[in-house]
Amino acid sequence: MSKMKRRRRELRDAVLLISPFVFVFAVFFLYPTYKVIALSFTDAPLIGEGQWIGLANYAKLLNDRLFYTSLWNNLYFVLLTVVPTTVIALLIALAVSKLKGRMQALVLTLFFLPYVLPVSVVTMIWAWMLDFQFGILQPLIAAVTGKPVPVFKNPYWVMPMIAVVTIWWTNGFNVLLLIAGLRNIPEDLYEAAALDGATPWQRFWRVTWPLLWPVTALVLTLQLILQLKLFDQVYLLSNGGPFNSSYVVLMQMYREAFQLNNGGYASAIAMVLFLVIVIVSVLQFQLLRIGGRK
Amino acid sequence: MGDTGGTTMKATGVHLKSVKKSFGAVDVIRGVDMDVDRGQFAVFVGPSGCGKSTLLRMIAGLEETSGGEIFIGDRDVTHEDPADRGVAMVFQSYALYPHLSVYENMAFSLRLAKRPKAEIDEQVRQAAGILQLTEHLDKKPAQLSGGQRQRVAIGRAIVRAPDVFLFDEPLSNLDAELRVQMRLELARLHQKLGATMIYVTHDQVEAMTLADTIFVLQGGYVQQSGAPLDLYDDPSNRFVAGFIGSPSMNFFNASVDDQTRDGILARLTGQPDLTLNVPLSQPPAKGATVVLGMRPEHLIVTEADGLRVTVDVAEELGGVSYQHGTLEGGDAVIFQQTGARHGMHGTVQTVTPEPGRIFVFDADGERIR
Repeated sequence: MSKMKRRRRELRDAVLLISPFVFVFAVFFLYPTYKVIALSFTDAPLIGEGQWIGLANYAKLLNDRLFYTSLWNNLYFVLLTVVPTTVIALLIALAVSKLKGRMQALVLTLFFLPYVLPVSVVTMIWAWMLDFQFGILQPLIAAVTGKPVPVFKNPYWVMPMIAVVTIWWTNGFNVLLLIAGLRNIPEDLYEAAALDGATPWQRFWRVTWPLLWPVTALVLTLQLILQLKLFDQVYLLSNGGPFNSSYVVLMQMYREAFQLNNGGYASAIAMVLFLVIVIVSVLQFQLLRIGGRK
Repeated sequence: MGDTGGTTMKATGVHLKSVKKSFGAVDVIRGVDMDVDRGQFAVFVGPSGCGKSTLLRMIAGLEETSGGEIFIGDRDVTHEDPADRGVAMVFQSYALYPHLSVYENMAFSLRLAKRPKAEIDEQVRQAAGILQLTEHLDKKPAQLSGGQRQRVAIGRAIVRAPDVFLFDEPLSNLDAELRVQMRLELARLHQKLGATMIYVTHDQVEAMTLADTIFVLQGGYVQQSGAPLDLYDDPSNRFVAGFIGSPSMNFFNASVDDQTRDGILARLTGQPDLTLNVPLSQPPAKGATVVLGMRPEHLIVTEADGLRVTVDVAEELGGVSYQHGTLEGGDAVIFQQTGARHGMHGTVQTVTPEPGRIFVFDADGERIR
C-alpha cells in the first residue's frame, strides 16, 4: 500500500518536473512540426488556410530543376567543408595541445574567437577582405591566378570561398571538442608507446587516432548536419548567385515561403531536406561506427 | 633475442653516476650514484615526493637527465631514446592500449619492430603462458580485472625481452589480497627470468619482501642502500631507521649522562629516574643530546625497571598485538606483544629494550655507532 503511494508520489513529482519542458517543447517544436507536415500537403500561402492537394507539392518538387541544383550545391558544400574542417581542427588541436598553460589558453581563445561572432559580422569581414576592388586578399588571389577575381560573382569561386568563410567561422568549436578528446588520452599511453619503440608518427596513428575516433566521428556528424542547413552565409555573401551556382535548398525554401508566398510548397521542401539530413547523418554515423570498431 | 620462456634473459646491470634532475628551480634528484648488478631485484623506496619515480623514469628515458650519466650494461644511455635503451616499463596505471586486445597489446612493440608474424605469435603465446593469460588473449583491457590487467602489462614487458625491467608502483592499484598474491608472482617471475628488475614503491613491506637491494630515497638523495635485513638491522640514519620496519621505530630524546667503558649512559628527556646503558664504539661527549631509537618488536614487558608506558590503544592482530601508549614525559610509544591476548589498554606497563637493539642518532639524525 505504502509502496504504491510512494510510487504515485514519485510519478507526480516526475510529471511536475518535466512538464515545463514538455510544454515548451510541444508548443514551440512539436506543434510547428506537425503544422509543417500538414502544410506540405496543401496549397496554403504563408499565412492562412489552403486546400488539401495530397502529394502534389512533392510531385512538383521532383520535377523542379532548381531543387536538384540546390541539392547538388548542398552536397558540394558538404564535400568542401565537413572533412576539411575536421582535418584542420585536428591539426590545430594537436598543435595547441603541445602548448602549455596560459599560452595554450591564449591560442585556443584566438582560434575560438571567430565562433563567437554573429554570421552578419563574419560575412561582412570576409566580403571586405575579398572585395574585388579594395579587398586585402585580392593581391594574394592575383598572385595565384594572375588577376583579381570577384569571388562571390564567379560561379567557380563562390562555393569554395563560402566554404572557407564557414570553416574560419565555425572551426574553433571543433578544435575545442578535439582538444577535450585529446586530453582524455592518458599521457602514459604515449610513454608506453615510446618505450615500445613507436615513432611520433606511429604514436599518432596507433594511439591518438583510434582513441580520438569517437570524438572525430562526433565532429564529422555534427558538421554534416550543420553544413546541410547552410543558408545565412550564402544569403549574405552571394544570395545564391551567380546563375544559381550557390543556390541551396534552404534558400529555395526561403524564397518559396517568404518571397513567393507558397507556404505549402516551402513546407514540402523543408520536409525533404529534413529527411535528407536524417538519412545522410544516420548513414554516416553508422559508417563511422563501423570504421571505428575495425 | 632472449629466450622469454627459458630460465635466463640477457640481464644487464644499471649504473648511475651523480645523476641529477631539476624541474625549473626545483631539484628533485640531487646527485645519485648507484649500481644495480645484473639479475638483481632492486627496489627504490621512499615517501611520496622523494624522487623515486622520477629516478625510474630517468632510467627509462621518459625524463631528461639534468646532470650525470646513466649506464645500462656498459652503454651510456643518458641521452638515448626510451626505445633504444633496452628497458621495458610497467606503469602504475598499467597504460594498456584500450582499443587493442590483450594479444595486440602484448604484440605492439614486436609489430612496430616489424618482426615476422610467426615469431610475434610465439613470443606472445609464451609470455601469455607464463602469466596465465592464454584464455584472455582476445579480450580488451576493459573486460579484465585489475590483477589480469597488471599481468598484461607485465606480459607486454616480457615480450620485448628487455635487458632491464622497470616497475613504477605496479601493485598500488590492487586490493590488499591481490597485492600480496601479485607480490609473490613477481618474486617468482624474477627467479624464472633472472632479469634485472628495478621496482619503485612507497610500501616498505613490498620493498623488504621483494628486494635483493633496497635503495631508500629521501630529499633527492639515496639515504642508504643494502640488503633488506641490513637496512633493518643497521640503519645509517634516523630517516632510514624510521622508514624501514613496521610499525615504525620509536624515537626518544635523551642526553648523555656519562660515558662508560664501552658506551654511554643515556637519560631519557622527561624520565629523570631512568638511565639506559648503550654500548657504542664512538660515544658522544657527556651532556650531548642524542636520539634513541627502539623498534616496537624490541621492547619487552618486564617486572624490573624500564620505560613506564600508559597504554591507550591496543591493536590485536591475533598472532601479535601492538600496544600504543605514552611515556610519563608524553612521548608516544608502540611496543609489540606476542601471545598475550588480554587487553592492555588503560594499564601501565613497564617495558625494557632488548640489549644491543638500541640505535643512537645525533641531533642531525646521523647514526652514532
